[in-house]
Amino acid sequence: MKSLLSNTILILLVRIFLGGIFVVAGLDKITDLQAFANSVLQYKVVGPMLAMCTATFLPALELLCGLSLIIGLYPRSCELLIIIMLMGFTILVSSALVRGLDISCGCFTQDPNASKIGYQKILENCGLLFLSVWLLFARNQDINLFQFFRKQPNKSIT
Amino acid sequence: MRQALIEALLLIVAAIILGVAYSFVTNQGFFAKTQSVHSVTDANIEMIPLAMAKDFFESNNVLFIDSRHEFDYQAGHIRGAVNVALKMFDTHLTRLNKISKDKLLIVYCDGAECNSSIELAVKLMESGFTNVKVFFGGWQEWSSAKLPIEK
Repeated sequence: MKSLLSNTILILLVRIFLGGIFVVAGLDKITDLQAFANSVLQYKVVGPMLAMCTATFLPALELLCGLSLIIGLYPRSCELLIIIMLMGFTILVSSALVRGLDISCGCFTQDPNASKIGYQKILENCGLLFLSVWLLFARNQDINLFQFFRKQPNKSIT
Repeated sequence: MRQALIEALLLIVAAIILGVAYSFVTNQGFFAKTQSVHSVTDANIEMIPLAMAKDFFESNNVLFIDSRHEFDYQAGHIRGAVNVALKMFDTHLTRLNKISKDKLLIVYCDGAECNSSIELAVKLMESGFTNVKVFFGGWQEWSSAKLPIEK
Protein backbone atom coordinates (compact mmCIF):
# COMPACT_ATOMS: atom_id res chain seq x y z
CA MET A 1 0.00 0.00 0.00
CA LYS A 2 2.83 2.36 0.93
CA SER A 3 4.56 1.73 -2.38
CA LEU A 4 1.30 2.42 -4.20
CA LEU A 5 1.02 5.77 -2.45
CA SER A 6 4.53 6.78 -3.45
CA ASN A 7 4.82 5.34 -6.96
CA THR A 8 5.76 8.37 -9.06
CA ILE A 9 4.76 6.89 -12.43
CA LEU A 10 1.37 5.79 -11.10
CA ILE A 11 0.77 9.23 -9.56
CA LEU A 12 1.59 10.94 -12.85
CA LEU A 13 -0.58 8.54 -14.87
CA VAL A 14 -3.59 9.00 -12.57
CA ARG A 15 -3.09 12.77 -12.67
CA ILE A 16 -3.04 12.76 -16.48
CA PHE A 17 -6.15 10.52 -16.60
CA LEU A 18 -8.12 12.56 -14.08
CA GLY A 19 -6.91 15.89 -15.46
CA GLY A 20 -7.73 14.75 -19.00
CA ILE A 21 -11.29 13.91 -18.01
CA PHE A 22 -11.79 17.35 -16.51
CA VAL A 23 -10.22 19.09 -19.53
CA VAL A 24 -12.54 17.21 -21.92
CA ALA A 25 -15.58 17.94 -19.74
CA GLY A 26 -14.64 21.62 -19.41
CA LEU A 27 -13.96 22.06 -23.14
CA ASP A 28 -17.36 20.68 -24.14
CA LYS A 29 -19.16 22.97 -21.71
CA ILE A 30 -17.19 26.11 -22.52
CA THR A 31 -17.97 25.87 -26.25
CA ASP A 32 -21.70 26.40 -25.59
CA LEU A 33 -22.34 28.10 -22.26
CA GLN A 34 -26.05 28.55 -23.00
CA ALA A 35 -26.53 24.83 -23.61
CA PHE A 36 -24.67 24.03 -20.40
CA ALA A 37 -26.82 26.51 -18.46
CA ASN A 38 -29.88 24.71 -19.83
CA SER A 39 -28.40 21.39 -18.68
CA VAL A 40 -27.93 22.86 -15.18
CA LEU A 41 -31.55 24.07 -15.20
CA GLN A 42 -32.81 20.58 -15.98
CA TYR A 43 -31.76 19.50 -12.47
CA LYS A 44 -34.38 21.94 -11.11
CA VAL A 45 -32.15 23.02 -8.22
CA VAL A 46 -31.30 26.59 -9.26
CA GLY A 47 -33.03 29.31 -11.27
CA PRO A 48 -31.90 30.71 -14.66
CA MET A 49 -29.63 33.39 -13.13
CA LEU A 50 -27.68 30.97 -10.93
CA ALA A 51 -27.56 28.44 -13.79
CA MET A 52 -25.89 31.11 -15.94
CA CYS A 53 -23.41 31.88 -13.11
CA THR A 54 -22.57 28.17 -12.87
CA ALA A 55 -22.21 27.93 -16.65
CA THR A 56 -19.82 30.88 -16.72
CA PHE A 57 -17.64 29.69 -13.85
CA LEU A 58 -17.68 25.87 -13.68
CA PRO A 59 -16.24 25.00 -17.15
CA ALA A 60 -13.33 27.40 -16.55
CA LEU A 61 -12.67 25.80 -13.16
CA GLU A 62 -12.80 22.31 -14.66
CA LEU A 63 -10.36 23.33 -17.40
CA LEU A 64 -7.96 25.04 -15.00
CA CYS A 65 -8.00 22.15 -12.52
CA GLY A 66 -7.56 19.57 -15.30
CA LEU A 67 -4.65 21.39 -16.92
CA SER A 68 -2.96 22.20 -13.60
CA LEU A 69 -3.26 18.58 -12.49
CA ILE A 70 -1.73 17.32 -15.74
CA ILE A 71 1.26 19.64 -15.59
CA GLY A 72 1.57 19.30 -11.80
CA LEU A 73 0.93 22.92 -10.83
CA TYR A 74 -0.75 23.20 -7.39
CA PRO A 75 -1.61 19.46 -7.44
CA ARG A 76 -3.00 19.22 -3.90
CA SER A 77 -5.36 22.15 -4.31
CA CYS A 78 -6.52 20.79 -7.70
CA GLU A 79 -7.21 17.41 -6.13
CA LEU A 80 -9.11 19.11 -3.33
CA LEU A 81 -11.24 21.11 -5.79
CA ILE A 82 -11.85 18.05 -7.97
CA ILE A 83 -13.02 16.08 -4.90
CA ILE A 84 -15.43 18.90 -3.99
CA MET A 85 -16.73 19.11 -7.59
CA LEU A 86 -17.17 15.34 -7.88
CA MET A 87 -19.02 15.21 -4.55
CA GLY A 88 -21.30 17.99 -5.75
CA PHE A 89 -21.96 16.26 -9.09
CA THR A 90 -22.70 12.95 -7.35
CA ILE A 91 -25.15 14.56 -4.93
CA LEU A 92 -26.88 16.38 -7.82
CA VAL A 93 -27.24 13.25 -9.97
CA SER A 94 -28.44 11.20 -6.96
CA SER A 95 -31.03 13.81 -6.04
CA ALA A 96 -32.24 13.98 -9.65
CA LEU A 97 -32.63 10.18 -9.69
CA VAL A 98 -34.49 10.21 -6.37
CA ARG A 99 -36.84 12.90 -7.71
CA GLY A 100 -37.46 10.78 -10.80
CA LEU A 101 -36.01 13.30 -13.27
CA ASP A 102 -35.29 11.67 -16.61
CA ILE A 103 -32.64 14.07 -17.86
CA SER A 104 -29.29 13.86 -19.62
CA CYS A 105 -26.26 14.45 -17.41
CA GLY A 106 -24.72 17.46 -19.15
CA CYS A 107 -21.32 16.16 -18.05
CA PHE A 108 -19.48 15.55 -21.33
CA THR A 109 -22.07 16.61 -23.88
CA GLN A 110 -24.87 19.16 -23.78
CA ASP A 111 -27.05 17.25 -26.22
CA PRO A 112 -30.46 16.83 -24.49
CA ASN A 113 -30.93 13.59 -26.45
CA ALA A 114 -27.76 12.09 -24.98
CA SER A 115 -28.02 9.11 -22.67
CA LYS A 116 -29.95 9.79 -19.48
CA ILE A 117 -28.52 9.87 -15.98
CA GLY A 118 -28.56 6.62 -14.04
CA TYR A 119 -26.81 4.65 -11.34
CA GLN A 120 -23.94 4.06 -13.78
CA LYS A 121 -23.13 7.78 -13.62
CA ILE A 122 -23.00 7.64 -9.81
CA LEU A 123 -20.64 4.65 -10.00
CA GLU A 124 -18.41 6.50 -12.49
CA ASN A 125 -18.26 9.52 -10.19
CA CYS A 126 -17.46 7.29 -7.19
CA GLY A 127 -14.59 5.74 -9.16
CA LEU A 128 -13.19 9.18 -10.02
CA LEU A 129 -13.71 10.28 -6.41
CA PHE A 130 -11.71 7.27 -5.21
CA LEU A 131 -8.84 8.15 -7.58
CA SER A 132 -8.87 11.80 -6.45
CA VAL A 133 -8.80 10.87 -2.74
CA TRP A 134 -6.01 8.38 -3.43
CA LEU A 135 -4.04 11.12 -5.21
CA LEU A 136 -4.60 13.54 -2.32
CA PHE A 137 -3.05 11.09 0.12
CA ALA A 138 -0.24 10.01 -2.21
CA ARG A 139 3.30 11.12 -1.47
CA ASN A 140 5.73 12.65 -3.97
CA GLN A 141 3.16 15.36 -4.67
CA ASP A 142 5.91 17.78 -5.65
CA ILE A 143 6.74 15.78 -8.76
CA ASN A 144 5.51 17.18 -12.04
CA LEU A 145 5.85 16.12 -15.66
CA PHE A 146 8.85 18.41 -16.35
CA GLN A 147 10.76 17.19 -13.30
CA PHE A 148 9.91 13.58 -14.13
CA PHE A 149 11.39 13.78 -17.61
CA ARG A 150 14.39 15.78 -16.39
CA LYS A 151 15.11 13.05 -13.84
CA GLN A 152 15.24 10.28 -16.45
CA PRO A 153 18.85 9.22 -17.13
CA ASN A 154 20.13 9.97 -20.59
CA LYS A 155 20.33 6.55 -22.21
CA SER A 156 21.59 7.68 -25.59
CA ILE A 157 25.11 6.62 -26.50
CA THR A 158 27.14 9.40 -28.00
CA MET B 1 -3.08 21.96 4.08
CA ARG B 2 -3.34 25.72 4.62
CA GLN B 3 -1.15 26.23 1.57
CA ALA B 4 -3.44 23.94 -0.49
CA LEU B 5 -6.52 25.92 0.58
CA ILE B 6 -4.89 29.22 -0.42
CA GLU B 7 -3.92 27.75 -3.80
CA ALA B 8 -7.45 26.39 -4.24
CA LEU B 9 -8.82 29.87 -3.58
CA LEU B 10 -6.40 31.27 -6.17
CA LEU B 11 -7.61 28.73 -8.73
CA ILE B 12 -11.25 29.65 -8.01
CA VAL B 13 -10.50 33.37 -8.49
CA ALA B 14 -8.61 32.58 -11.71
CA ALA B 15 -11.56 30.47 -12.94
CA ILE B 16 -14.01 33.31 -12.23
CA ILE B 17 -11.82 35.81 -14.13
CA LEU B 18 -11.28 33.37 -17.01
CA GLY B 19 -14.99 32.47 -17.16
CA VAL B 20 -16.16 36.09 -17.18
CA ALA B 21 -13.48 37.10 -19.74
CA TYR B 22 -14.36 34.18 -22.02
CA SER B 23 -18.06 34.94 -21.68
CA PHE B 24 -17.37 38.60 -22.59
CA VAL B 25 -15.14 37.82 -25.59
CA THR B 26 -17.46 35.17 -27.06
CA ASN B 27 -20.75 36.98 -26.25
CA GLN B 28 -21.98 33.94 -24.38
CA GLY B 29 -23.24 33.47 -20.83
CA PHE B 30 -23.81 36.78 -19.04
CA PHE B 31 -22.82 38.77 -22.07
CA ALA B 32 -25.03 36.94 -24.58
CA LYS B 33 -27.04 39.31 -26.78
CA THR B 34 -30.12 37.15 -26.26
CA GLN B 35 -30.54 35.17 -23.10
CA SER B 36 -31.68 31.73 -24.14
CA VAL B 37 -31.76 30.10 -20.75
CA HIS B 38 -35.25 29.16 -19.72
CA SER B 39 -36.72 26.92 -17.14
CA VAL B 40 -39.48 24.75 -18.53
CA THR B 41 -42.03 26.65 -16.48
CA ASP B 42 -40.73 30.06 -17.61
CA ALA B 43 -40.77 29.16 -21.29
CA ASN B 44 -44.52 29.91 -21.69
CA ILE B 45 -45.03 27.30 -24.36
CA GLU B 46 -48.33 25.56 -24.83
CA MET B 47 -48.15 21.83 -24.18
CA ILE B 48 -50.73 19.80 -26.04
CA PRO B 49 -51.94 16.26 -25.36
CA LEU B 50 -52.25 13.43 -27.89
CA ALA B 51 -55.91 14.09 -28.73
CA MET B 52 -55.17 17.69 -29.65
CA ALA B 53 -52.05 16.73 -31.63
CA LYS B 54 -54.19 14.24 -33.56
CA ASP B 55 -56.83 16.91 -34.29
CA PHE B 56 -54.18 19.30 -35.59
CA PHE B 57 -52.64 16.48 -37.65
CA GLU B 58 -55.98 15.78 -39.29
CA SER B 59 -56.53 19.48 -40.01
CA ASN B 60 -53.49 19.32 -42.35
CA ASN B 61 -52.62 22.89 -41.44
CA VAL B 62 -49.66 22.11 -39.23
CA LEU B 63 -46.00 21.20 -39.47
CA PHE B 64 -44.74 18.60 -37.01
CA ILE B 65 -41.10 19.03 -36.06
CA ASP B 66 -39.14 16.07 -34.70
CA SER B 67 -36.33 17.24 -32.39
CA ARG B 68 -34.71 13.82 -31.94
CA HIS B 69 -31.44 12.59 -33.45
CA GLU B 70 -31.53 11.95 -37.17
CA PHE B 71 -31.18 8.18 -36.77
CA ASP B 72 -34.23 8.08 -34.43
CA TYR B 73 -36.12 10.14 -36.99
CA GLN B 74 -35.07 7.79 -39.81
CA ALA B 75 -36.25 4.81 -37.74
CA GLY B 76 -39.77 6.25 -37.63
CA HIS B 77 -41.55 9.57 -37.21
CA ILE B 78 -44.98 11.19 -37.38
CA ARG B 79 -46.10 11.25 -41.01
CA GLY B 80 -45.02 14.50 -42.67
CA ALA B 81 -42.79 15.58 -39.78
CA VAL B 82 -39.46 17.24 -40.53
CA ASN B 83 -36.34 16.57 -38.52
CA VAL B 84 -34.67 19.50 -36.77
CA ALA B 85 -32.29 17.98 -34.25
CA LEU B 86 -31.71 20.53 -31.52
CA LYS B 87 -27.92 20.49 -31.95
CA MET B 88 -28.33 21.24 -35.67
CA PHE B 89 -30.77 24.11 -35.20
CA ASP B 90 -28.53 26.76 -36.74
CA THR B 91 -27.97 24.56 -39.81
CA HIS B 92 -31.72 24.14 -40.28
CA LEU B 93 -32.56 27.79 -39.65
CA THR B 94 -32.23 28.84 -43.31
CA ARG B 95 -34.71 26.11 -44.31
CA LEU B 96 -37.03 27.01 -41.44
CA ASN B 97 -37.02 30.69 -42.37
CA LYS B 98 -38.83 29.79 -45.60
CA ILE B 99 -41.86 28.82 -43.50
CA SER B 100 -44.43 31.48 -42.63
CA LYS B 101 -43.77 32.82 -39.13
CA ASP B 102 -47.38 32.32 -38.04
CA LYS B 103 -47.60 28.72 -39.27
CA LEU B 104 -48.60 26.28 -36.54
CA LEU B 105 -45.53 24.26 -35.54
CA ILE B 106 -45.85 21.28 -33.20
CA VAL B 107 -42.55 20.09 -31.77
CA TYR B 108 -42.07 16.65 -30.27
CA CYS B 109 -39.25 14.43 -29.09
CA ASP B 110 -39.18 10.92 -27.69
CA GLY B 111 -41.65 11.19 -24.86
CA ALA B 112 -43.02 13.18 -21.97
CA GLU B 113 -39.73 13.29 -20.09
CA CYS B 114 -37.36 14.55 -22.80
CA ASN B 115 -36.52 18.23 -22.94
CA SER B 116 -35.25 18.72 -26.46
CA SER B 117 -38.75 19.49 -27.80
CA ILE B 118 -39.16 22.30 -25.26
CA GLU B 119 -35.68 23.69 -25.94
CA LEU B 120 -36.29 23.58 -29.68
CA ALA B 121 -39.67 25.29 -29.23
CA VAL B 122 -37.95 28.07 -27.27
CA LYS B 123 -35.37 28.51 -30.05
CA LEU B 124 -38.14 28.61 -32.68
CA MET B 125 -40.00 31.29 -30.73
CA GLU B 126 -36.78 33.29 -30.39
CA SER B 127 -36.38 33.03 -34.15
CA GLY B 128 -39.75 34.73 -34.64
CA PHE B 129 -42.22 31.84 -34.95
CA THR B 130 -45.36 32.86 -33.12
CA ASN B 131 -47.45 29.69 -33.12
CA VAL B 132 -45.34 26.97 -31.55
CA LYS B 133 -46.69 24.15 -29.42
CA VAL B 134 -45.10 21.10 -27.82
CA PHE B 135 -46.69 17.67 -28.08
CA PHE B 136 -45.36 16.36 -24.77
CA GLY B 137 -46.37 12.72 -25.30
CA GLY B 138 -43.99 12.65 -28.24
CA TRP B 139 -43.09 9.73 -30.45
CA GLN B 140 -43.77 7.09 -27.76
CA GLU B 141 -47.39 8.15 -27.29
CA TRP B 142 -48.04 8.72 -31.00
CA SER B 143 -46.66 5.34 -32.11
CA SER B 144 -48.37 3.49 -29.23
CA ALA B 145 -51.69 4.98 -30.36
CA LYS B 146 -51.01 3.53 -33.85
CA LEU B 147 -51.44 6.93 -35.48
CA PRO B 148 -49.96 7.59 -38.96
CA ILE B 149 -46.21 7.27 -39.11
CA GLU B 150 -43.60 6.92 -41.82
CA LYS B 151 -40.01 5.68 -42.03
